[in-house]
Amino acid sequence: MTLFLDSVQVRFGATILFKPLTLTVAPGSIATVMGPSGCGKSTLLAAVCGTLDPGFSYTGTILLNGRKLNDIAVENRKVGILFQDDLLFPHLDVFGNMAFALPAGLRRSEQQARIIASLESAGLPGFENRDIATLSGGQKARVSLLRALLAEPEAILLDEPFSKLDEDLRSSMRSFVFDRIQRMHIPALLVTHDKADSPDGTFTELN
Amino acid sequence: MSGSSRLNLFPLVTQTAFLLPILVGLIFTAAPALGYLSVAGHRGFSLDPLRTLFAHPSLPGALRSTILSGAGAASASLALALWIAATVHGTRAWRVIEFSLAPLLSLPHAAFAIGFVFLISPSGWLMRAVSPSLSGFTYPPDWITAGDPWAISLTLTMILKETPFLLLMVFSGLNRLDVKRTVWIGRSLGYHRLRIWTRLLIPQLYPMLRLPLLAVLAYSLSVVDLAYIIGPSLPPTLSVLIDRWFNDPDIAYRMVGAAGAVLLFVLTLLFIALALLAEQLIKKAAAGRLLNGRRKSPFEPLAGTGSWYMMLVLLINTTSLLVLMIWSIARVWRFPDFLPSLLVISTWTDNWGRMIEPLGVSVAAALASCAISCVLVVGCLENELTLEYAKQPSIDRRSLWIVFMPLLIPQISFLFGIQVLLVFLHLDGTWLALIWIHMVFVLPYVFLTLASAYRSYDRRYSQVGLTLSWSPLKTFARIKLPILIKPILFSLAVGFSVSIAQYLPTLYVGNGRFATITTETVSLAAGSDRRIIAVYALSQVILPLLGYAAAIAIPFMMHRNRQMMRN
Repeated sequence: MTLFLDSVQVRFGATILFKPLTLTVAPGSIATVMGPSGCGKSTLLAAVCGTLDPGFSYTGTILLNGRKLNDIAVENRKVGILFQDDLLFPHLDVFGNMAFALPAGLRRSEQQARIIASLESAGLPGFENRDIATLSGGQKARVSLLRALLAEPEAILLDEPFSKLDEDLRSSMRSFVFDRIQRMHIPALLVTHDKADSPDGTFTELN
Repeated sequence: MSGSSRLNLFPLVTQTAFLLPILVGLIFTAAPALGYLSVAGHRGFSLDPLRTLFAHPSLPGALRSTILSGAGAASASLALALWIAATVHGTRAWRVIEFSLAPLLSLPHAAFAIGFVFLISPSGWLMRAVSPSLSGFTYPPDWITAGDPWAISLTLTMILKETPFLLLMVFSGLNRLDVKRTVWIGRSLGYHRLRIWTRLLIPQLYPMLRLPLLAVLAYSLSVVDLAYIIGPSLPPTLSVLIDRWFNDPDIAYRMVGAAGAVLLFVLTLLFIALALLAEQLIKKAAAGRLLNGRRKSPFEPLAGTGSWYMMLVLLINTTSLLVLMIWSIARVWRFPDFLPSLLVISTWTDNWGRMIEPLGVSVAAALASCAISCVLVVGCLENELTLEYAKQPSIDRRSLWIVFMPLLIPQISFLFGIQVLLVFLHLDGTWLALIWIHMVFVLPYVFLTLASAYRSYDRRYSQVGLTLSWSPLKTFARIKLPILIKPILFSLAVGFSVSIAQYLPTLYVGNGRFATITTETVSLAAGSDRRIIAVYALSQVILPLLGYAAAIAIPFMMHRNRQMMRN
């Protein structure tokens, strides 16, 4: 599983947001894209995901495991996303949020088994019936990642996922996320304005 | 502390000024229904009015059209508004809807209904468009379209007016959700847009739509002016029947009217309860499916229809307005001509003199009721924010129900009682009573449109003023008011248009002494010359339009060199 971006460039009308970007992300590894706020980092992720706002367009090719994503509908791309806000659905509990990501056709007991196992592996045993509002920031962030991964994506995009966490929480969350992605063996594309977010200190500048 | 305790008076005054009279009005309407009407010499308890009501030959038909049109219009409007939102949100067409909502909502119900009649009646513009070329008619056919006995045309009229209103409520609800990224996450998890709406957005949105929906339901079940214009006639809807009984020369019929008003009140409560019950049932039924993981929706092939519905709503509203304009300057417009053969402006000039007074009464009542409502609403919101800042328990959520109360009770169920009360106090037919009854309906809308912008004001701006040792009042007038001028004026414009549109309250409380442009238009619509009706209806359209124009123009002039004030 590899994510390959070939001279990807986003425009808004006639305005070019950044220079063409070419990147190869190997499975289990994380590519970091850096840039100041407003340079189009989130827009780049929207292009990979397929959720560009009306008025935006892009050139270049996006390949995932040899599949050309350009013309595939968002919901069929199998590309997960994690934002700086947890975006857990407030009308559902932890179980509901995670079950939402599971594939169709599972029996309730299967859903339960998978979700409990996933929560336990993340150090959150017994959390399945908790109301989202009662979780701490770090717990929300972890549930949010677990939810994205339960859908078994073939690649995951990270939109400054650590920027809203406290300093001490940030480093433990980083290693949690990187560890999960390595275990899932999928490519990850991380955009950030904080050099420390890059797992190996290397990054590509967006300008 | 003294400042906040004085602010405490605002919710108190607001609630007693509105709630108490409505309750008294309900009681004073219920008393004659049980045989007590002292002006007619009835002072005992009797079930005769109720017996007469239930034995009345018109009642079954009236109930049928009331329920069909009321419940039908409310549920169809909700379904359409949600369908349009779910299918159009996030596309370019959404922007078009956003811009068209305010002008759509500024078109008064009565004027729109009249235009709609001119459009769909057998001799209407639609028939003219296909005659005689396609239809072969050289005379209007003997069909019943507007005012049909099944109240379909009345239901359609209400759907066309209430769908934009509920869409506006959807808009303001969506502003409080992170829709863009919720849709993004949902789609990245493999869900189709429609599924994201039914499973993620509507469950979060509905609590914010509940009150507006119930208001639409109560309104549709009890509307009188629209039912006169485009409702069935033999028998009419229950609300019209009640209004006729209340105005019957035989004073004994007031008691039958009162019995009908109580029945309509109970019917409305029943349907509100049904709506709440349906919500719970749907929630229960959906709970199991919510998490079944199905990504595709069977309605996907129909997703393109949402924008077509919206275009249809827009098109019908515009053509209704257009046909009014044409009639207002037509001199000779024979069937089946598509356009008048002779145009004049004399219908305008001949009627202008007669319209000045009703227009003046409309504007005066609207300005006064809006200004006082706005002061009260701002006071209530200030009080709420002060309490919240002081971490004292705030009653804002519950007070919302109280503010909404006048919109959830059929007007005709308490207006008769209020009339009785005002006669007793010798206040009937006074300006005071007229302005007050308009406020009862204006205030909820001012509250509704102002609250969210007012609550999200950054109080640190005011703290800057206070640290410059300005007085709280000066800080409020020099900083907060100018910053919030746009939402305040917009809420005033909404209140203004609500006041202009009031028909029944003006008649009952004014005791026949006040003629507004709306009461004149509705009474003319019953059977006047189409050209004169059109002139009156358009005059009714112009007033709220001027209000909205002022609400846009004044902040623009004030802040024309201030970029941050543009949004």
